[in-house]
Amino acid sequence: MLTISHFLLLFVGAALINNILLTRFIGLCSFFGISNSMNTAFGMSAAVIFVMMMASTTTWLVWKFILFPLNIGEFLYIPAFILIIAALVQFVEMYLRKSSPALYRAMGIYLPLITTNCAVLAAATEVSKPGFFKMAMPYSYTLGEALVYAFGVSVGFGFALLTFTALRERLDIAPVPRVLRGNPMSFITAGLLSLAYVGLAGWFGL
Amino acid sequence: MKEWLRVFKNGLSIDNPLTVLMIGLCATLAVSSQVEGSLFMGIAVIFVLVMSNALIAMLRKVIPAQVRIPIFIVIIASFVTVVDLFLKAFFPPIYAVLGIWIPLIVVNCIILGRAEAFAYHNSVWLSIADGLGMGIGFSFVLLGLAFIRELFGSGKIELFGSAVLKMPSGYAPPIILMMFPGAFILFGFVVAFVRWLNERSTERKAA
Repeated sequence: MLTISHFLLLFVGAALINNILLTRFIGLCSFFGISNSMNTAFGMSAAVIFVMMMASTTTWLVWKFILFPLNIGEFLYIPAFILIIAALVQFVEMYLRKSSPALYRAMGIYLPLITTNCAVLAAATEVSKPGFFKMAMPYSYTLGEALVYAFGVSVGFGFALLTFTALRERLDIAPVPRVLRGNPMSFITAGLLSLAYVGLAGWFGL
Repeated sequence: MKEWLRVFKNGLSIDNPLTVLMIGLCATLAVSSQVEGSLFMGIAVIFVLVMSNALIAMLRKVIPAQVRIPIFIVIIASFVTVVDLFLKAFFPPIYAVLGIWIPLIVVNCIILGRAEAFAYHNSVWLSIADGLGMGIGFSFVLLGLAFIRELFGSGKIELFGSAVLKMPSGYAPPIILMMFPGAFILFGFVVAFVRWLNERSTERKAA
């Protein structure tokens, strides 16, 4: 099972075919909230990739070595995972502020927002306690698979966010009927973009 | 009592979380492909919202401002766990349909947003009104969307295993309404419609 192609398929499946934003609707708040300018979209994407990888690794370890063996996972996983993510984001923020101010300036302000980004909690839950996303993939993740999966999901998030931001910048100057201007038109555009992703369904048997 | 009603009505109309404030969208768009699932989702959100609002309002004088967000999240997560275990034990088919959306109620912006914006500054009684109003406002839009999507997208509405409403035979349902892109596009038009209604009523008042 541990071949390059297996990891590649897992990555493509997580990033494109089961894109978390456009085919699962997870993380939409930040999707519509920060897709106003290319700079913020870049900062947010970088921060999400970073936090999602770290959060998924941590929750995977906690589930495997603490919650599952002690048999308390079934009713403690929600508070445990969300607290892990919140604490982790706080630590990352403090560490970045001390160690690399340049990086902190680039993505620091997006870090607190990520705590309530459902995409991070969804990916962390899926890798530790698989079965929520009905993916045509093996249903228990090893640590390596968990990392690749989280990377794929976050890259897919960033990719969709950047595409949508580029579209929205063009939309501002387009002649749109008055009632549809702003949010309604953004939703319709997102629908069309999501249609493109639906077209990918079934590739490689995923 | 008058104040209570005013707060309750706010959530239903002028501060409706979905069509006006645009928060809590993820769950709405994902769950609204079925009336049955939406019904349970709405009840779950109302329960968590009312309970967490009430508890936070009760504790608002002892929660220190610096660490309020983690405390809110833990309170919300506990109530979500109650819903999670309850649905898993008594309604397994519904739990299978809603799946990841139950744990994700924790990060639903509506609940944390109301805790921060309302329950932390108001009495228990008013916070319950706010929770009920916001929760029902949310469920109302969710059920409306689900009704349109399931009726026109699949041709019938199923509740607890039996079809309650059917389109005439020969109706060919546009499947896109049941799929993800359809949800985005339909919601775009719903928001535009609500905006048009609001604009018209303010114009009438001005005239």
